[in-house]
Amino acid sequence: MTQPVPVIDTGPISRLRRGRFRMTPLTPLARREARWGLLFLSPWILGFLAFTLLPLIATFGFTFVNLTLNQKEPLAFVGLANYQRMFADQQVWESLGVTLRFAALVLPISLIVPFAVALAINSRHLRGSRFFRVLFFLPYVVPFVAGLLIWQQVLGVGGWINEGLRFLGVADPPEWIHDPAWIHPALVIVGIWGIGAGIIINLAGLRGIPTELYDAARIDGADALGTLRHITIPMMSPIIFYSLVLGVVEVFQYFLAPLVLLNGTGEPNGQTLFFNLHLYNTFFLFQEMSYGATLAWLLFGVILVVTLVLFRTSRRWVYYAGER
Amino acid sequence: MRTRMTTRVAWLAIVALIAGACGTSASPSVSPGGSAASQPPVSAAPGPKALLRWYCCLGTGEDPTQVPTEEKVAADWSASQDLGDLKIEIVTYDAARATLSTQIASGNSPDIVGPVGLGGLASFEGQWLDLTPYIAKTGFDLGQFPDEAVQTFNVGAQGQVGIPFAIYPSMVWYKRDMFDEAGLEYPPHEYGATYKWPDGREVEWNYDTVKELALKLTVDESGKDATEAGFDPESIVQYGFEPQRDDLRGLGAYWGPGSLAAADGTTVEIPAAWQDAWKYFYDGMWKDHFIMTGPVAESEDFSGGGYTFFSGRVAMSLNFLWTTYGVADAGTDWDLAAIPSHNGKVTSPLNTDTFGIHKDTKSPDAAFDALTYLHEEASDTLLQLYGAMPARPERQDAFFETLAQTEGFPDEVDWQVVKDSAQYADKPNFEAPVPKYNETINTLVKYRTKWVATPGLNMDTEIEALRAELQAIWDS
Amino acid sequence: MRVAGGLRTDGAALELPRRRIRPAEAGKSFALTFLMVAILAGFLSPLAQSFLTSLKTPEQITQLKGPVYPADPQKFEFEGKTYDVYQVPIDGTIRELALIRKGRQESDFLDPANPTAGPITWQGSWRSLDPAWRFTPHFENYTQVWDLIKFPRLLFNTLAIAIIGTIGTLVSCTLVAYGFARFRFPGRGAMFTLLIATVFLPGAVTLIPTYTIMVKLGWVGTWLPLLVPTFLANAYDVFLLRQYLLTIPREMDEAAAIDGAGPLRILRSVILPQAWPAIAAVGIFHFVYSWNDFFGPLIYLSGAQELQPLQVGLARFNGVYYQNPAFIQAGNMMTLIIPVLLFVVFQRAFVRGIVITGVDK
Repeated sequence: MTQPVPVIDTGPISRLRRGRFRMTPLTPLARREARWGLLFLSPWILGFLAFTLLPLIATFGFTFVNLTLNQKEPLAFVGLANYQRMFADQQVWESLGVTLRFAALVLPISLIVPFAVALAINSRHLRGSRFFRVLFFLPYVVPFVAGLLIWQQVLGVGGWINEGLRFLGVADPPEWIHDPAWIHPALVIVGIWGIGAGIIINLAGLRGIPTELYDAARIDGADALGTLRHITIPMMSPIIFYSLVLGVVEVFQYFLAPLVLLNGTGEPNGQTLFFNLHLYNTFFLFQEMSYGATLAWLLFGVILVVTLVLFRTSRRWVYYAGER
Repeated sequence: MRTRMTTRVAWLAIVALIAGACGTSASPSVSPGGSAASQPPVSAAPGPKALLRWYCCLGTGEDPTQVPTEEKVAADWSASQDLGDLKIEIVTYDAARATLSTQIASGNSPDIVGPVGLGGLASFEGQWLDLTPYIAKTGFDLGQFPDEAVQTFNVGAQGQVGIPFAIYPSMVWYKRDMFDEAGLEYPPHEYGATYKWPDGREVEWNYDTVKELALKLTVDESGKDATEAGFDPESIVQYGFEPQRDDLRGLGAYWGPGSLAAADGTTVEIPAAWQDAWKYFYDGMWKDHFIMTGPVAESEDFSGGGYTFFSGRVAMSLNFLWTTYGVADAGTDWDLAAIPSHNGKVTSPLNTDTFGIHKDTKSPDAAFDALTYLHEEASDTLLQLYGAMPARPERQDAFFETLAQTEGFPDEVDWQVVKDSAQYADKPNFEAPVPKYNETINTLVKYRTKWVATPGLNMDTEIEALRAELQAIWDS
Repeated sequence: MRVAGGLRTDGAALELPRRRIRPAEAGKSFALTFLMVAILAGFLSPLAQSFLTSLKTPEQITQLKGPVYPADPQKFEFEGKTYDVYQVPIDGTIRELALIRKGRQESDFLDPANPTAGPITWQGSWRSLDPAWRFTPHFENYTQVWDLIKFPRLLFNTLAIAIIGTIGTLVSCTLVAYGFARFRFPGRGAMFTLLIATVFLPGAVTLIPTYTIMVKLGWVGTWLPLLVPTFLANAYDVFLLRQYLLTIPREMDEAAAIDGAGPLRILRSVILPQAWPAIAAVGIFHFVYSWNDFFGPLIYLSGAQELQPLQVGLARFNGVYYQNPAFIQAGNMMTLIIPVLLFVVFQRAFVRGIVITGVDK
């Protein structure tokens, strides 16, 4: 991706800004640079050709045939029949809707919470930050399914969340996992256990901000909020952008928690029929490989569009100190 | 210029890709076209032993305590002959279907799959080898099994896909101490016997009687039962009754045998007895409170790590014989009783287990030899391991003698009930194949999940919605 | 850690320009620390529950009115039978008596101190009584899990797969990210888009063709499908490292280049020291990912039990028909230790940024 032009008033950052867009033909020097670049990329290029490209093409090929595990009808080219079926499949649109609604809830939380915790851990006001770092990281290590089993109990009948709410005077706390209105918040709570990764990424980003910037800000008389707005957030914007893009990918591919907690049925009341769960069921449970692959390519297209939009807008708010 | 490099890389990529695609796409189609193999190929001349893969666990068999025995059985067969070596692959149940699908679709299917029930076979329809020619060729004696058991695995056009291995009848499991505490008679152990109330009333042992009993055996924290004034359904500590809620078809089959498919095989028709069962289940949870709701049955206090009866907090439960693996957790005072009747008729749903051979096996003769080894030489060992009742009648007494010795079981369990229950097996079996098997099961699970978690539903509307949804799946 | 060009130092150096604490600062510290402790307590309490569950027997888990800690009701043995002891209020005092006959309206008890005195009948529901709990943790759950799944062997496999894979990931992803972040070449943007796009297709769908490739290569039943791809970089970590490298100003690369350093030298002596926090993060992510990966090893090693990692072995306690919650959680606790220790060692990488002038953030 090319030149970001920070429009945010970055104050002291502008002093560090550098690099201009150069539109020169490849000089021998530039050719050398390109060769080095491709050399460094070669592990990925090799892996892409060996293990990624073929599966991508194969699954794309699946979408034009009638492949099923049982293969009752002989394998045949069916043109766009799978796509026609997809556009008529009501569950496709319902499940996309469910996924989008969940994304609207979970994405902001999964960006803000780890960032805020990392800021707190990074703060000089916090005593014993080393313990907090380790302890906030701890649940991230718990295997996902084992973690789900714990949360099923914590959120369930007699679990401490509802016992706690009753203690606080809530007479009739929700049946989290089985209540259509509460299942999404419940899944968010379960997901919060994995913020260890987000905290680390944010801590690494905070660590990388040169202290001079804060010195300069102080000399300029900026208060804490101003520093956050004008230094921390702009300097962290590449990391925030990373979290946002991968958050989008993750939320569109979300399915394991509802598969384990609710047998992949989409209950309560269709609220957990996420797109990728519908896809997983189609592919593995109903053994319809071709149709499943078609759904997967729809998902690919949706994520691609969202990501491209994010990359476009990123030029306006992501600041890369080291890019040319 | 600047594009030259890109172009070169792109061309390289395309060439590599085409080369790769040709290389791999040709090979998968080589896999044997199995389905038409009515005549088994002549067995290969003695050469290197074939490597056979025994795929577990679409049912029982994954428990870490079971695996060493299974490995030993595989090794024993390998050492006993020159056709092949058998190796067991343990894939935990939760991932077993996805893994098996992947292996089959990638042309890397296993040779033997099992133990697997009728439902497991049905969910991989079209994958199984018809054993008929191998049975004929080796002279394997099917006459040692009851004919009905053999017919169970004769699945239409797919042929004889399995040989009877194990059967699991179902009955009532109950806690004697809870009846003692309430001052009630135990449920009858003999089919046809009546139930006697403390006031001397003798009534038919049917689901109405069960309900009346279960209400007395459902107790809240303060010790009040569900028939008393002031009973608090929010603080129940002991439940009166638990049906078999895994599968709505199975749940229904305790009330009467049936199939979702009408006689034409393409119309969805929900048996009247199943509808009665589902309504009984629903009202038992939400109206009368003698059956756990879904959220309660999921909680650690009541789940029993699998079946609520194992928690020791359920007075009566319907379930299959295979629950012997965990029932010791329920305490030392449980016993078995007869299944109650519905409309004057008794039905004991039957689970069956067998082993299947995948149709793409490269060494069908060796695989069949290994299969017969599991059914004969190794059968006593494996049956014991799986807590499975032998399909061969003459082995059953010995099985119960060993079962009764199980550590942690009460001294005086009435195992005769199991044998009697087998006489009331459901015909047709509730797991028998129906169209769109996997979608159908998934839809049933969806409705079950909804019913156990949602109060205030109109069950007639629900059942009709389920029927319509299934019909739409079958028609598509 | 080495000092990189004077711009920043590693965490050790910054522990302590100690400053005097003013009262307002102390108040802030207390408030923030208190708040974080409260949040942390809620955050970790499920883990505490998991630990307590790991010490229980199945009976203790389903015990009526059982405490959160592992406890058995006190038992009393009399004439060959075992009875539970309850706290019974009689005549204004609480006595610990053994329940010998349960009844709905009244129950019979024995005094363990004087059993021959005969039964004491108590009016009321025995369910309303609290048992006399005795703290009895079952640490043998851990030894049983250890024995049942050949823990040492699986642990070795897990460690080997995780360590080799982490090395592969770190080396390959750092190189690729460096290539994307610091070199200009035609098609860079397109290739980067392609890299990111490789994670858009859900893994379930590419699994069958990928598995087919591994079958054709003859790699199924070995560690190769799990290890080789780690040496060929992955989009998640390349993206993260590239983002981080892009935040590092270029002055020092350029200075080093002017001094005649080649790209590899610059990577080693300029980039790596500055990217250390992000590299540590990627290392930890891959290690934990590999440590907890279940489906990959399951599917590629299903026929090779002696090569399987811990998660595949532990999943067997979570059968669909029978779960042993205590064993699941005990196994869980045992597998947590190593990644957490690793994190404790490497966490210095995330210590608050460099302090040169004593100004903080």
